[in-house]
Amino acid sequence: MTKTFRNSRTAILFILPALLFILFFVFLPIVLNLYNSLFRWNSFDAGRVFVGLEYYGRLFKDPIFFTALKNNSLYAVISLVFQVGIGLIIAAVLEDKLIRRFQPFFRTVFFIPSVISIAVVGLLWQLLYNPEVGLVNGVLKTLGQSEWALSWLGDSKIAIYAVVAVSQWQYTGYMVMLFLLAMQKIPFEYYEAAMIDGASKIKTFLYITLPQMKEMILVGTVITVIGAFKVFDEVYVMTNGGPGRSTEVLGTMLYRAAFRNDEMGYASTIGTIIFVVTLTLSLIQLKIGKSGQEV
Amino acid sequence: MRRKINVLLAVLLAFALVLTGCSSSSSSGEESGKVVLKFLHKWPQPEYAPYFEEVVKAFEKENPDIKIKIEAIADEPIKDKLRVILGGNEVPDIMFSWSGEFARKFVRADAALDLTPYLNEDTAWKDSFIPASLQPFTSNEKNYGIPLRFNGKFFVYNKKIFDKYQLQAPTTWDEFIQVLDTLKKGGETPIILGNQSPWAAIHYLTGLNQKMVAQDVRMKDYNPKSGEFTDPGYVKAMEMLADLNKKGYFMKNVNSSSHDMGQQLFAAGKGAIFYVELEEFQTIENNMKGNWGFFPMPSIADGKGSQSFITGAPDGFIVSSKTKHPKEAIKFLKFLTNKDNALKLVKQIGWPSPIDGATNPDTALKEVAEGVDYMKKAEGMAEWLDTDVHAKVADVYLSNIQLLLDGSKSPEEIIKEVQKVAKQVQSEVE
Repeated sequence: MTKTFRNSRTAILFILPALLFILFFVFLPIVLNLYNSLFRWNSFDAGRVFVGLEYYGRLFKDPIFFTALKNNSLYAVISLVFQVGIGLIIAAVLEDKLIRRFQPFFRTVFFIPSVISIAVVGLLWQLLYNPEVGLVNGVLKTLGQSEWALSWLGDSKIAIYAVVAVSQWQYTGYMVMLFLLAMQKIPFEYYEAAMIDGASKIKTFLYITLPQMKEMILVGTVITVIGAFKVFDEVYVMTNGGPGRSTEVLGTMLYRAAFRNDEMGYASTIGTIIFVVTLTLSLIQLKIGKSGQEV
Repeated sequence: MRRKINVLLAVLLAFALVLTGCSSSSSSGEESGKVVLKFLHKWPQPEYAPYFEEVVKAFEKENPDIKIKIEAIADEPIKDKLRVILGGNEVPDIMFSWSGEFARKFVRADAALDLTPYLNEDTAWKDSFIPASLQPFTSNEKNYGIPLRFNGKFFVYNKKIFDKYQLQAPTTWDEFIQVLDTLKKGGETPIILGNQSPWAAIHYLTGLNQKMVAQDVRMKDYNPKSGEFTDPGYVKAMEMLADLNKKGYFMKNVNSSSHDMGQQLFAAGKGAIFYVELEEFQTIENNMKGNWGFFPMPSIADGKGSQSFITGAPDGFIVSSKTKHPKEAIKFLKFLTNKDNALKLVKQIGWPSPIDGATNPDTALKEVAEGVDYMKKAEGMAEWLDTDVHAKVADVYLSNIQLLLDGSKSPEEIIKEVQKVAKQVQSEVE
């Protein structure tokens, strides 16, 4: 028995508790969820009826499922543009020498929304969006843009954008914070060298800051995209999927199936699909970003 | 090697400890010989919760061997949570439920105790209820629930505005439309509606469906086992509702205002008519100080349903079939619905009681007593559409009613979806 072998056994021993936890609380539920999606059952009735893959068939014929998928994708795309794209630009601006003195102030201001609980944010924005007494329309009317004073959460065509906008308001500051941390870790010598070579600020940003931050940007995109497909609370609090089913996302659709319509099997099916979608997306992103390799 | 096993055991033990620590921290049903009953209701609001606390305290004083644990979950979340709680191990002995299908689905799952023998055993108790309040809690001629409130839906109107245009409370739909038209021409907002939570508009449809569709047809359709929804009355009912909106009788942006906001608008005189439940009458009176009157949904000339029904339903309590102490649970329900506590309910929080004679002009607001009179005289009750049909059918109605009002779906499209889901439900409910 060599020493390294013995060491690795001890190592396994140390990993074991964590491994058991993950097995019990992550992998077992995933498998159980798959199993549960094969039955028609509800939370208060003991009877279970085996339906096989019926729910999967129904899901792919359910127009609400495609509305939800579309809304989740919309969430992902807009979040990428605002939280990662614009967040990155804001971070770069805040890191600029001219503004750096005020950075702590701006950083705090941008970060504050992300520490407020989502239930509070949802109720707050419900009021702000109110067409009669809300601040949003009040400001628009004062500015003379009355034709833009819409029924934000009450119109099935624009409600989803209103909901997505709240998420941007809430989390862009959080991303800015992460990006600032990554930027501050970039060695200053690179910038000095670029300055001596006479590179412009934009060029410095494109050729030094961005490549150096690759890892953090990747983390940011993974977080936002997965977050966009798991989103539930904002939508639930603000519109609960309405008006009609126009702002339904996969999360609220699952909730509705499970706790309103007493179809736990269908809810499990939706859960499985959410899992597959997020897993695929993060695998793709990791592949593209070749995470773990230094540039 | 032995040492390694020891370490392994220690790790596993620690893990097991953590796991067991997570579960079952409590489950002692009886504390020092007392029977403990869990009582779940849906009124955590500070204006209502004390009523239940006081009644429970009085009951415990009378029955020192019974202890009651109160829990309260608000109206909207209880619709979801009740289902989850019923599936768990710690089911409350007595819990809130709406009448109609909402309670019947628990009956089908054998989760609700049959209360018929207890009611028959004590006929004085049974006869103390207004009969129409017990009926919606029955399934196959058996009683499963005890009503606490007897709620109805009425249009309230602003007297000042009505007087300004010399209007009378309408009794037929045509008169109703004329009233609305006059108000509209006078530049008033005829009807206030806060439909952010879509039950508000569903309550209109509850009455319209009942008035437009023949009773036996509607009952057959509302039964999950035989629902078809092919009667043209359902489409007509939705058209009438959509027309109220199209002609501009409803206020603007109905889908983004809440019912509570509607109440404030009505109190501020920003609209002439508002559709409310009897339980809200006290609040309306507090705000309007006599400047209001009310009328039931007007009758519709070409409607096939009975025109003397009132929209509304009782709500109350069911007993869990898993309870270990059914006798004590019944004892508490009897206490809760005895005359003294019914009078207390009417006086203290202004709710209409299903106990015959408890809601009278001496105990309650004049209008509340009149409202209960309307319901006693009515031929029957149109129970809330969203709790009287199967949850899945209700869901289709609830989510589509907002689209009906914002004009993006037609009644025909909606009824097709309803028919489809009704068919699906038929095949699932044995």
